[in-house]
Amino acid sequence: MTHTARRLAILAALTSSLGALIAAPADGNAFTVPITYYKLPNGLKVSLSRDTTAPLVVIAVYYGIGFRIEPKDRTGFAHLFEHLMFEGSKNLPKGEFDKLIEGNGGVSNGSTRFDFTNYYEVVPSHVLETMLWGEADRMKNLTLTEENLKNQQGVVGNEVKVNVINRPYGGFPWLDMPQYANKNWFNAHNFYGELADIEAATLKDALDFSHTYYAPNNAALALVGDFDEAQAKKWIEKYFSAIPSSKLPARPDLAEPRQQSEQRFTKTDKLASKPALAFAYHMPERNTPDHYAMILLDQILLQGDDSLLHQELVKKRGYTDSVDGGINLLGNQFDYNGPMLWIANLIHDASVKPDQILAAADSVIDSVRDKPVTQEQLNRALVKFRANYYQDLTQFGGLGRANLMACFSLFDDNPSSINNIEKNLRSVTVDSIHKAAQEYLRRGNRTILVVEAGAPAKATPAATGGAR
Amino acid sequence: MKFWIHGLLIAGALIAQDSRETPPQIGTPKPFNVPSGETYQLKNGMRVTLAQYGSVPIVSVRAVLDFGNANESADQVWLADLLAEMMKEGTSTMSAQQVANEAARMGGQLSINARSDTSSASIDVLSEFTPDAVKLIADVLQHPKLPQSELERLRGNLLRQLSVQLATPQAQANQAFAAALYPDHPYGRLYPTEEQLKKYRIDDVQKFYGANVGAQRTHLYLVGRFDPAVKSTIASAFESWVAGPSVRRSPPQNIAKARSIIVDRPGAVQSTLRLGLPIPLNPPDADYIPLAVTDAILGGAFTSRITNNIREDKGYTYSPFSQVATRYRATNWQEAADVTTKYTADSVREILFEVNRLRKDPPDTKELKGVQNYLSGIFVLRNSSNQGIIQQMAFVDLQGLSKDYLKTYVQKVNAVSRSDVQRITETYLDPAKMTLVVVGDKSAIGDSLKPYLK
Repeated sequence: MTHTARRLAILAALTSSLGALIAAPADGNAFTVPITYYKLPNGLKVSLSRDTTAPLVVIAVYYGIGFRIEPKDRTGFAHLFEHLMFEGSKNLPKGEFDKLIEGNGGVSNGSTRFDFTNYYEVVPSHVLETMLWGEADRMKNLTLTEENLKNQQGVVGNEVKVNVINRPYGGFPWLDMPQYANKNWFNAHNFYGELADIEAATLKDALDFSHTYYAPNNAALALVGDFDEAQAKKWIEKYFSAIPSSKLPARPDLAEPRQQSEQRFTKTDKLASKPALAFAYHMPERNTPDHYAMILLDQILLQGDDSLLHQELVKKRGYTDSVDGGINLLGNQFDYNGPMLWIANLIHDASVKPDQILAAADSVIDSVRDKPVTQEQLNRALVKFRANYYQDLTQFGGLGRANLMACFSLFDDNPSSINNIEKNLRSVTVDSIHKAAQEYLRRGNRTILVVEAGAPAKATPAATGGAR
Repeated sequence: MKFWIHGLLIAGALIAQDSRETPPQIGTPKPFNVPSGETYQLKNGMRVTLAQYGSVPIVSVRAVLDFGNANESADQVWLADLLAEMMKEGTSTMSAQQVANEAARMGGQLSINARSDTSSASIDVLSEFTPDAVKLIADVLQHPKLPQSELERLRGNLLRQLSVQLATPQAQANQAFAAALYPDHPYGRLYPTEEQLKKYRIDDVQKFYGANVGAQRTHLYLVGRFDPAVKSTIASAFESWVAGPSVRRSPPQNIAKARSIIVDRPGAVQSTLRLGLPIPLNPPDADYIPLAVTDAILGGAFTSRITNNIREDKGYTYSPFSQVATRYRATNWQEAADVTTKYTADSVREILFEVNRLRKDPPDTKELKGVQNYLSGIFVLRNSSNQGIIQQMAFVDLQGLSKDYLKTYVQKVNAVSRSDVQRITETYLDPAKMTLVVVGDKSAIGDSLKPYLK
């Protein structure tokens, strides 16, 4: 769902991990991220976190519109609109925004998620003012034209083709599973979009959408990096304060009914050469004690070679080489604001049947429901989480930190709650994990997706042509 | 109401022609130095580099091993991968599960991967566990169990991965492109056959380990936050390791020869393209950095010419990009794109149009400066993480570059002239010598590609 896979590829190759001006108490307690938070009179939520490890700054603008609540007859529209945000604004005609970023040594991207659409730049710190001006310009003065819409319908159509239609296991399980597991349309539609819906989008749709959702009172700005706070505040005031706010529609009811019995679906993937299997459980509500317990259960069951599912399905049974998945496959355990799934998925040989795999998976899932995990398992889960989390807070110039700051501003009006994450995880006990496992890892809370391989088992491309 | 908004925005767009604001003045760049750290050698020939970086309590420990798929013979394809998998299966004193638990206890995950020129064993852990992480890597490298009992399971995994990967058009395209550029060389053999994979026995794996792993072929990097006293742990963990084999590399001949290969993928809605050629330039050569600048102008950046043409102007594709792919004494340039089937020939035509345009006329100063700034900025980003720093240092080591390569990189990027770019394109990017690979629906593409086939 990203604006360009190319840009993501660049970032992935960089694997930037900046050190932070994070206070590190010697007693092993939680780290504290410095956060300044305020709102402009027009409603824009601003959070700042300074970090001088490298001369870089992350500018992140998040809008409180994700694909979950896009118009019902326009699947994929939130994402199509994300593309239009790169197609030119009053002072930066098409192409000029990207040139301004790359031409000053930075990278940028956008992505559409369940509950927000984000735009960010990672740039040398001396370019901060320019990028604030550029982000404000497209918030205030986006230029929407038939020509650009048509062009991006072509680009987005190609994005869906390369990631889903022409790709084995395309959409498995990240795009498929929410559609099978959920019952409420907002959580259960094809959010990448049907090609027909993407083609049918009109300029009027884009104008309506822009006017409704792309306004400062539906947005959060987060800065992380090497900047002067007083100076940054002045620039933010200068460029963003005159943008008018909009009247936001009421948020629709996103609730999912409590699932009572297990669901099972089968699909055939014509391009896949091996069968695959995924299973998913509805998560507890975000930011509750059960949510934190599930975060550690995910570490215990699914993350890393020591995890119970890896040990059982990969090492002991040899059913697959890898069990993947987690909480929120389009983000992380924290950056969503509605119903969510915990998903595990794997690819296996046709000689092994889905029920064999499920029986083996259940042997370890049932083990954490039958009796509490050990304190040693819980400790290991917490250490694994912390090591990953610290890297996330500092990667790509601090993009992971900006992500949480912007999300917690949008969802909870409280980016400082980033500093409660470790504390909340440390208060999870073997008993609270046991209780959460009993409620949320119920069979009745589960959806199973079986993928049958529709391609010939052996792919030996026949090449033609020759040397001149 | 909505009509009114519509009119207002359109008016705004028209007015913009005249009353456009210019961006605020850009400030002055702050200096940035790549941490160089300290490098030394143990008596057995193993190299060690230590560099403090960042302030989160994380350290990256990575042993870069001087062997990879390039050390495989024609009947050993993916034997290096099988060895890497086997090395995770426990040591003489620890079971595989104990290794996994020990890594997790430190917050990390042991990762062992084979790549073409080098392989690696690495782990990122909380700083307090640095000595334990060094010991774990040392044990896994020196005393791997390589157990027969796990061979069939791991072979099954590789067979499954082979099948899954070769079902993707991108893997099919890469395979055909590599085979065309590097015939009779390991760089041209990306994938084994199933029959080949089924033949490897445990003693093949053990022999491959003996022939390729040892102190002389190892460079241990620690980058992040750690107690410098870890040096004594490194000494005691690695000192008694045998020197082992010396480094051996046999680069291919780099001969550009026009070819075209069409791989039929009936029903495909997109064609997967690779267009490019080997280039007789290596990182130590003066023209190598100018080649990187040229690539960024052509297709290596989002604002590059090819991306602008076939994506932002024509909408043929989503994620086109070009790259200078660099291995040991083997460099190639390639453009890659997945394009809507009916625009297959149009896309090839436009890519070639952009190459030819740059062969004739140099870029203007503004375009060149933008790309130089881009590469300078990306350089900072690339060198501002533990893993990124290790990657850069390992590149310098592998390619035998001078100590000041990273220090002078930005300066060299900015010294490239307009005429350099035109000369580089003209000299090295000759369409008449390029290999074209198309993976797509042959019947739908029909004769449209004929003008471009060799």
